[in-house]
Amino acid sequence: MPMQKRFVCPREQVPKNGMIECETEGGLMLLVANAGDDYFAYQAMCPHQDTPLCEGLYDGAVLTCHQHLWQWDIRTGAAMGLAETALENFPVQVEGDSIYVVAQSALNAAELFIGVSDTTLSAITALAQKEERDAGSICYDFGAPADDFFVLESGRVEFLIGRDERLSSAGFMLRKGEVFGWAALLENQPQRIARATCLEQSRLLRINGKQTLDLLEKDPASGYLVMRRLSSLIARYLASSGSK
Amino acid sequence: MRIQFNARNRAFHFEAQTGARLLYAGLAAGINLPYECGSGTCGTCRARLIAGEVDDLWPQAPGRKFLKRAGEFLMCQCAARNDCTVEAASFVYNMDPGACSPAFRAGTIKETKALTRDVIGFSVALAEPADFDAGQFMTMQVPGVAGYRGYSMVNFERVATRLDFVVKKKPGGGASEWLFNGNGDGAAVELFGPLGAATFYPSLGKNVLCIAGGSGIAGMMSILARAQQERYFDQFNGDVFFGVRTYADAFYLAELSQLASGFPERLNVTVALSDEAVPEHALRAHPALGFEQGLVHEVAGKAMQGKYQNVRAYLAGPPPAVDASIRMLLLEAKLPADNIRYDKFS
Repeated sequence: MPMQKRFVCPREQVPKNGMIECETEGGLMLLVANAGDDYFAYQAMCPHQDTPLCEGLYDGAVLTCHQHLWQWDIRTGAAMGLAETALENFPVQVEGDSIYVVAQSALNAAELFIGVSDTTLSAITALAQKEERDAGSICYDFGAPADDFFVLESGRVEFLIGRDERLSSAGFMLRKGEVFGWAALLENQPQRIARATCLEQSRLLRINGKQTLDLLEKDPASGYLVMRRLSSLIARYLASSGSK
Repeated sequence: MRIQFNARNRAFHFEAQTGARLLYAGLAAGINLPYECGSGTCGTCRARLIAGEVDDLWPQAPGRKFLKRAGEFLMCQCAARNDCTVEAASFVYNMDPGACSPAFRAGTIKETKALTRDVIGFSVALAEPADFDAGQFMTMQVPGVAGYRGYSMVNFERVATRLDFVVKKKPGGGASEWLFNGNGDGAAVELFGPLGAATFYPSLGKNVLCIAGGSGIAGMMSILARAQQERYFDQFNGDVFFGVRTYADAFYLAELSQLASGFPERLNVTVALSDEAVPEHALRAHPALGFEQGLVHEVAGKAMQGKYQNVRAYLAGPPPAVDASIRMLLLEAKLPADNIRYDKFS
């Protein structure tokens, strides 16, 4: 269900190199920021503790939540410094004096794909199959072939690891753009080592790993970025204290 | 009671005794659960109850304003009634093997003394010695006053049998009023800690900037004590800014003078007076210290211009002073956020 173009606010409302909180047509709360000649729109609340980001600090380049100093690059929404996750970006269109946000798929919101070239991202988007799943539905189970990876569009997915009845929680995902089943992007990981279950009704994108790797091989600059982000993603799940 | 804590990255299991706050039980089990104040104000330890029941030991906790969805509660204020499963949307890891382990501790208050008209210092003699890092705090529960409050250690020593604290008088503040009413000396208290991530280690290898308002100087004294013991300021610069309203509100000036005199080349201590011009007798009484009129973050900002290379900043004090210092350090000084350390108490 694509989000149609929504009016956000007149350009003049956003201070030069400043930011405001805005409610769009249809009740979407956004943070709208100006940087030089450009405008950017992100989720209004900090992904850490739901603090309004408009209460934070912004110098025209870096946005900082004042609560715990998580920071983001205003041009991409990529996490900087202490931040553990990217901001959800809403692509902006400026028409005359008006600012609009337009629809985008979860793939554009995925931290794994920030900075990937438009051509490659469109090609990966073309591979994606949309899946609508009910609560309790199992995306994959132990030992199943790890062919595809998933991008969460909405909902909530939980992971279990273990053997027989001795299962334990290996975490959960709840943010748009979170990627799971990334074994499909690794070499020599043919089987799932976890069970992924939707805890509520969830919308997912299913993407073939092998075909994605082929696309990234043709665009090594993007491929390098994705592998870098993938390794930090894996490290975040494996890491001990003090490291992210 | 058996507690399962579902973090974003994995599940943890720990035991919680009857009446024990879940945050403390989890931390004591070596799990680095999310928290900052540990005493009901900051909201950082909020979690969601998935199964089981909890009792809220302080339903008026100001940090409850951060609870937004059904089933959410503050782990620092709630105890399990039966086996529970709780969930928080953060990545959580085990504590570092070398970390000073938080634990429940017993102690006795002694040597309560007035430092200014509204600040008193006191010590706690611990029943068992404790290790803590410079810049950390303990939460403390005093007889007859419900709940724990956080106090930063002033001293620094390993295997400490004595902890020094300061407290500012807060009208209507239960534990603070209890101490000001002369109940302290000889009273048995319960502590939990050490807590807090605004810690200093001599292996830091950076110049140190401390900006403290009022009783926030406590943790800075601990940092300075450790730095002095290790002769840290032979190699690195230390800039300390201590903000108070008037000269009469300042304390620890003799201790700060002694520290500054020990490292005349590299350690600078400036007292910022927000509400009065610097009296002449202040300079005469403490020639090793600097005095300026102004808000502490402004005084620090002016003095530090061009001196932010390789700097780690530590902040403490009333929340508006800490917020103003953060703003100054991020926006004007362009200090990276991971080199600004403080514990949120609001």
